[in-house]
Amino acid sequence: MDLKTLLNKKEFVLLDGAMGTMIQKSGAVYDHSPETLNITRPELIQSFHKAYIDAGADIVYANTFGANAYKLAESGYSVQEIIAAAVQNAKKAAERTGALVALDIGPIGMLLEPAGSLRFDEAYDYFREQIEAGQGADLIVFETMTDLYELKAAVLAAKEHSDLPVLATMTFERSGRTFTGVSPAAAALTLSGLGVEALGVNCSLGPDELEPVIAEMTRYTDLPLIVKANAGLPDPNSNEYDILPDRFAECVTALLPYGVKLVGGCCGTTPAYIAAIKAALDGKQYIPCPRSTDTAVCSASTVVEINMPRIIGERINPTGKKLFRQALVENNIDYILTQALSQVSGGAELLDVNVGHPEIDEKQMMVRVLKAIQSVCDAPLQIDSTKPEVLEAGLRCYNGKPIVNSVNGEEKSLSSVLPLVKKYGASVVGLTLDEDGIPKTADGRFAIAKRIVERAEALGIDRRDVYIDCLTLTVSAEQDACRETLQALRRVKTELGCKTCLGVSNISFGLPNRELVNRTFLTMAMEEGLDLPIINPNIESMTGAVRAYRVLAGLDKNSLDFIAAYQDTPAAAAKPSAAEMSLSDAVYSGLQNEGAAATRKLLETQEAMVIVNQHLIPALDRVGEDFEKNKIFLPQLIQSANTAQACFDVIKEHLSRTGTESVSKGKIIVATVKGDIHDIGKNIVKTLLDNYGYTVVDLGRDVDPQLIADTAVEQDITMVGLSALMTTTLGSMEETIRLIRATKALQNPDGSSRVKIFVGGAVLTRDYAMKIGADFYCRDAKESVDAAKTVFKESQNPD
Amino acid sequence: MITTEAPDRAEVLRYLGGADAQPDERLTALLDSCEKELLRIAEPKYLYRMIDLPCDEWIAGEDIRAHLRGCDRAILLCATLGMAVDRTLRVTQIKDMSRAVVLDSMANVLIEQVCDKAERLIAAQLPDCHLTFRYSPGYGDYPIAMQKKFLEALDAPRKIGLSRNESDLLTPSKSVTAIIGVSKEPVERRRRGCAVCNLRETCRYRRRGNHCGFENTSQ
Repeated sequence: MDLKTLLNKKEFVLLDGAMGTMIQKSGAVYDHSPETLNITRPELIQSFHKAYIDAGADIVYANTFGANAYKLAESGYSVQEIIAAAVQNAKKAAERTGALVALDIGPIGMLLEPAGSLRFDEAYDYFREQIEAGQGADLIVFETMTDLYELKAAVLAAKEHSDLPVLATMTFERSGRTFTGVSPAAAALTLSGLGVEALGVNCSLGPDELEPVIAEMTRYTDLPLIVKANAGLPDPNSNEYDILPDRFAECVTALLPYGVKLVGGCCGTTPAYIAAIKAALDGKQYIPCPRSTDTAVCSASTVVEINMPRIIGERINPTGKKLFRQALVENNIDYILTQALSQVSGGAELLDVNVGHPEIDEKQMMVRVLKAIQSVCDAPLQIDSTKPEVLEAGLRCYNGKPIVNSVNGEEKSLSSVLPLVKKYGASVVGLTLDEDGIPKTADGRFAIAKRIVERAEALGIDRRDVYIDCLTLTVSAEQDACRETLQALRRVKTELGCKTCLGVSNISFGLPNRELVNRTFLTMAMEEGLDLPIINPNIESMTGAVRAYRVLAGLDKNSLDFIAAYQDTPAAAAKPSAAEMSLSDAVYSGLQNEGAAATRKLLETQEAMVIVNQHLIPALDRVGEDFEKNKIFLPQLIQSANTAQACFDVIKEHLSRTGTESVSKGKIIVATVKGDIHDIGKNIVKTLLDNYGYTVVDLGRDVDPQLIADTAVEQDITMVGLSALMTTTLGSMEETIRLIRATKALQNPDGSSRVKIFVGGAVLTRDYAMKIGADFYCRDAKESVDAAKTVFKESQNPD
Repeated sequence: MITTEAPDRAEVLRYLGGADAQPDERLTALLDSCEKELLRIAEPKYLYRMIDLPCDEWIAGEDIRAHLRGCDRAILLCATLGMAVDRTLRVTQIKDMSRAVVLDSMANVLIEQVCDKAERLIAAQLPDCHLTFRYSPGYGDYPIAMQKKFLEALDAPRKIGLSRNESDLLTPSKSVTAIIGVSKEPVERRRRGCAVCNLRETCRYRRRGNHCGFENTSQ
């Protein structure tokens, strides 16, 4: 018998109860981890399995929950030894009973990026090792997971290194979310897409409190659900749980209408609980519960249902954007993150992410940018590239259910992109073009759409997850094209039952007052059935048109979203008056608008460099000195620095208008060293250096020494700032310095280093900094600026 | 369950420098708004376990031995403000750095408040006992590598979502692990101070003859 047969044959599948509780009750002693008992007390572990099987369990979980290389590090046993023994114990107990054995895998025990520093690929390797060691089992179970990203690494490792079926359950808090903020809906959507056999909840709370979680999950999946709850809450003194077997079984039975098919127990449960469930389920029938949502995408925390027009922000795309291209080339991830956050503030519900640019490694950049955006932004993402290998790299590291942009009717595209969409459980944008280009007529585009949908369905992709783009053509070139696009859109919507998407702004190319044309076209398209307009959400009239449409079409119930978006606008819209103020005072007081205004005024009469050197820098120095003397607080120093930034922006804009070269005073790399994830100190340094007119390349936190050396070489940078917060990461700082010094391309002809290195961080001392070969020890951000001044003074041209 | 209250303003300001200044209206408004946000997003959680002493397992180095001298039991404690605070700090650092430093400092003060409250709740269950101050891995010569042991002993990753990375940094970052000695006899309730602090050589408060808020124990 295998899992699939079991699921088909039986109304309900009974799982076992807690292993830990049994071990605890037996009083068995073990060193390091309970998994070592598989080897030291095999007969004891077998007796627990046996007891669960006797109570009625169809599946027993081998005693392998924490058998990973991290947790077993000091146990004296290898992952292979423990897992092999554990599976054998379970198999032995299951012999001739028909019960199946699950390889049971819990969380690694370290947090993944971005909250922690374990990388996705490292997590994948931990799981792969366990999965390879557990091939003797009948199925693989991932349980007690709190991080969807970790669970995704686990499921991928299982799918790529084994043919065994997979079950996955997560643990939710009373808040209805996991510790890392994963919602039941996001878990259900993502896991269904990744191809598990069943999904659900384990551990968490008692079964009496799980209804909201299960109810939310079932809306987003067609799969059978799993409930393996705790026996209520433990008494802090006796450690006894407060829900007894009969009550437990009663609560579990109450969850059956949500499509629950696999049931068992977690912490505090024993064979008596399993027997009680078995008795309670006797004669009952499984109630399949198809999802009630049409189609949705998600991040780990936020689900967006495509049940009304939803705005996809188009701004993360280098096409036609000079600053964005520059940011890509310079690895300036913060610029991209700012774009992401401002689009979300503007009203974007999803973000398109495109980083295609000939001067960079698109695949590497896609992964970096996606990870960075996910670390600060909850909006689901649309992975946009013409290259399948870039799409796949993005799909792997995406935490949730994304949209792939895009596939089209060309055979090459269909056969390379759709399998990825299926494997990673994404939605996909289908462009109605093929080898022969874009058909002129609505019929032609509809035919391609139909072909795309058929191909998707042949691979098992739900047509509701295919979002057809009927393509916007420029109306000034082909006036009839607009009508064809809209006609095709309506047919796709009504005849194919697919959702639709459109890049909107192309319509107005070559016309004056483009915004007006765009907005009108957008409104027409929504009325024809457009679900996903791809627009610039920071153009108020476009976002506003979508919001207003939702009200008028009766989609925004009681206009709640509309009111929430606009009720405060009149006050905020008033332009802040930039009062007359000297540049110096504006910087000192940290008033950005006033600073910018003062700079504009000065530019009428003075040279840019004079303003920088005679007004801006002295004002910043005054703030810095007062900070040193404890006359002002750190946030005030930063506000002043940001004001200086606003002034610099005015100057840069002025210079680019007048064609003068940039005012950058030098380029500096800053990074928090490998292993260290506390980066606020480094970020303060960055803010200050930025605002003193230096160009800062921020490589982030937990940065590999090699990346720092490589970036210095690539961008010819000769000043590097390193931060380390902990004594444990000072070693990485030393190693990074050693590597920079040893890099040939960063040396003078005589072998001496061309790079000046400044270091800082809480535990660092001047002596230590010098000992590990730094050039400057900076106690705070202000001293970093002093170091930069010293370094770049030598190379600056005297004006 | 612990509920948090407004973190001590004076301590927050001490983290933010400006010892000789009063916050102006604008900074006060910023502090107010950060306070509101932080109290909304923080999800304070703690765990503890009693152990009997002597217990070699928890001794490493001289300082912890001295700290627990005269104690027959000890409390292993860990506490965290949760993941949402870290995320907000990441987002705010991109949007508004001056706000981020205020939130960061405030979170540091808040996690100490959570520990204080947890400690009081535990102490209430230990009548007639005397407690030492909280001693954490990384203080004095007590190795930071003890973090893993603390977290395992308390089952912290599973129970409150608190774990560590390879460099022994706690994740979420606004978290604490500590050991508190319990004695039947009065123990010297020294506060944790500069004497055991590894930052004493570089501390910006000490530089100006001040301290970070934990009483300066003479050295």
